[in-house]
Amino acid sequence: MIKLNPKLSQKFSYTLLCFAAILAIAPVILMVFIIIKNGASAISWEFLSSMPKSGMCVGGILPAILGTLSIVSCAIVVTLPVGVCAAIYLNEYAKDNMLTRIIKLAIVNLAGVPSVVYGLFGLGIFVMFLKLGVSIIAGALTLSIMELPVIITTARSSLGSVPYSFREASLSLGVSRWQTIRHVVLPNAIPGILTGAILSIARISGETAPILFTAAAFYVPHLPRSIFDQVMALPYHLYIISTQIPNMPKNIIYGTALVLLMMVLTMSCIAIFARIYFRKRRKW
Amino acid sequence: MVDKIKIENLSCYYNKKCVLESLNLNVVKNEILGVIGPANSGKTTFLRTLNRMNDFDITYSRKGSVYLDGDNIFDIDAENLRRRVGMLFAMPIPLPMSIYDNITYAPKRLGLVTKKVDLENMVESVLRDSSLWDEVKDRLGASAMKMSGGQQQRLCIARVLAINPEVILFDEPCSGLDPISTAKVEELMVELKEKYTIVLVTNNVKQASRVSDRTAFFLMGKLIEVDKTDKLFVSPKEKETEDYITGRFG
Amino acid sequence: MRKVLDFIIEKIIFICGTVSIIFVILIFSFLFKEGFSFFKDFGVLKFIGGHFWYPSSDHASFGILPLIVGSVFVTIGACAIAVPIGVMTALFISEIVPKGIRDILKSLVELMAAIPSVVIGFIGMITLVPLVKSIFNLPTGLTAFSGSIMLAFMAIPTIVTISEDAIRSVPWQYKQGALALGATKWQTLRRIILKAAMPGIIAAVMLGIGRVIGETMAVMMITGNAAHIPHSIFEPVRTMTATIAAEMGETVRGGMHYRSLFAIGLVLFLITFLINFVADLFLGKNKNT
Repeated sequence: MIKLNPKLSQKFSYTLLCFAAILAIAPVILMVFIIIKNGASAISWEFLSSMPKSGMCVGGILPAILGTLSIVSCAIVVTLPVGVCAAIYLNEYAKDNMLTRIIKLAIVNLAGVPSVVYGLFGLGIFVMFLKLGVSIIAGALTLSIMELPVIITTARSSLGSVPYSFREASLSLGVSRWQTIRHVVLPNAIPGILTGAILSIARISGETAPILFTAAAFYVPHLPRSIFDQVMALPYHLYIISTQIPNMPKNIIYGTALVLLMMVLTMSCIAIFARIYFRKRRKW
Repeated sequence: MVDKIKIENLSCYYNKKCVLESLNLNVVKNEILGVIGPANSGKTTFLRTLNRMNDFDITYSRKGSVYLDGDNIFDIDAENLRRRVGMLFAMPIPLPMSIYDNITYAPKRLGLVTKKVDLENMVESVLRDSSLWDEVKDRLGASAMKMSGGQQQRLCIARVLAINPEVILFDEPCSGLDPISTAKVEELMVELKEKYTIVLVTNNVKQASRVSDRTAFFLMGKLIEVDKTDKLFVSPKEKETEDYITGRFG
Repeated sequence: MRKVLDFIIEKIIFICGTVSIIFVILIFSFLFKEGFSFFKDFGVLKFIGGHFWYPSSDHASFGILPLIVGSVFVTIGACAIAVPIGVMTALFISEIVPKGIRDILKSLVELMAAIPSVVIGFIGMITLVPLVKSIFNLPTGLTAFSGSIMLAFMAIPTIVTISEDAIRSVPWQYKQGALALGATKWQTLRRIILKAAMPGIIAAVMLGIGRVIGETMAVMMITGNAAHIPHSIFEPVRTMTATIAAEMGETVRGGMHYRSLFAIGLVLFLITFLINFVADLFLGKNKNT
């Protein structure tokens, strides 16, 4: 075998790595570009603000947008406090014992459960067992359990980034543990926790499988009225019109995909920029 | 001469390893007790036992008793103990909030002072006591993180004064400061002993000789010698003490 | 009063802390409850090893072997693409590009992870599927191969993010030491850093696999959903996840078919449980070095 000049081999390998990075990122940018290019023409105020008509071939996607927003906001309202408390327990109170190890293992595994299995679970427990029916609340609860590990993990890392010395300073003044957490640790961890929450909202807005049997409906002639209503949801709507309805006008499908994509990407961008901003002006 | 703190047969361990061995020592009311010794001699462990800050370390365990005004500190409520025995750390740790909020933080949480007027008066008085008032009176709302190191350490002193403690523990309070700031903090300690009892842990032998009334010398987890400062520095009884203060080791 | 309040709050925090365990147990028991009653009626071996998935015919047969093979085909295909690209991208981002560009690329990767799987599925259906059909001259472009490609894009962000963490947590002294001995940057990267970061990279790959096995919507839209044992990756396949998602709507609640889908869910749950458990072991190993 010929031994390559190390300098040359470095140059070659770097090119290869660069090529791999392009291969990883470029197609996704291309996908986004295709959707924007084909979907932009469908976007109009009417498309965003009216009901679908004539078997969804004309009209807008308002009920789907509102449905997704209501499911997602219910989910985050449930999951955020529980997740933050769990993170506080793990980061501030938990000792290094068996229970803590089991909790960590449980979080890791919750994070890995396939989304469709969450859908099954939601169907079993919320729709059937608790008799909530196929409804916003059943879907939201399903999504909130699915998001729990993500919220816990991000909240925990933002709590962990608050220097230990702040806790010591507060505790040494005779302030109790909970008061220290409440008035010193939490205020400084809030930006990180909120960034994590926004990223979670973005992620669950695009989830389809968990709401498939718990909340989503093919078509609902009215806007969501209570949390016990079945609703249309944007990702499910996209799935339906792109696979189940033949001869669907292409620009409506692209338009729906664009709205969903923009919703998700805008929220993610906000979260990412917020994180950069808070990191820069962090006081310690 | 009233004993404020009385330590009887105190031994401390980390992971079962002994770092402080059967210590017997007392701290007299309104004195500055200097504690000197090389690194790993158990000084900081000793100090953090006095306000039970070591309770948060799960590897830590101890035997023996410490009496504060006759009460065993391991029997009384730890949070109340820490209110009575304030602590200053090696590096100044202002909380990430304004100067004003740093001082009012603990009194508010503990419910010591609640009215706004009282809080304002209290802030002024502790800032005067820590000779910081003239420097910061116009910017009480500014972030404490933006002050200089010396100012931050004096703010931390003011913060401790605000909870009206009986004893103040200083854990090498000048190790991160320049000579001028150090002089100011030392001056302050001497003023404070009028009202408070002070334990000063330092690895700067000269600092102990400058400010403390009595000095204790720790080595490898044992108390070697404790005496009036001028006596200890002029004619130490033990050979190790002499070697350390004359700079032969440590 | 203050003490009582503190006490109550700390109890609430403790309960929230253990809630993850409760959910894992709940998920398992709900899947197990339905799955177990299905196994009693149909038999585990016939279920796992059966070649035919005809859930709604008169002589219903619930063999999930074709579905398992379908999942495995798609997963292997996706990993064959995503692992090399992902690990190389992680190396590129963490060790080669300057810091400013690194942050931008990392944010881009994070945005990639946020793209909903229905959108990926839709784009795949419209662009990739016809392309695969015409290039390979197939009767349909809805194949395991097309599914693998699209799923690779969903696994790449996971693999990149976690490998990048692992690579960057290699102590800088290792690198300095090698460079001081006259090794080139690339030699250092390949011989030292890659080796030290290996446990983390393995964990990244496992979590990527977990993501692909559990992926539902994109797979359902692109792989053709034919429940038979495929002979090559250029045939339509149906995965376990897609089966659940596609058929749950048509089942009778509580019926045999309904319970069989829970049984599939149970199998998926156990597989991902195992994968994540092993990945976590590797991640723990990475932190100790």
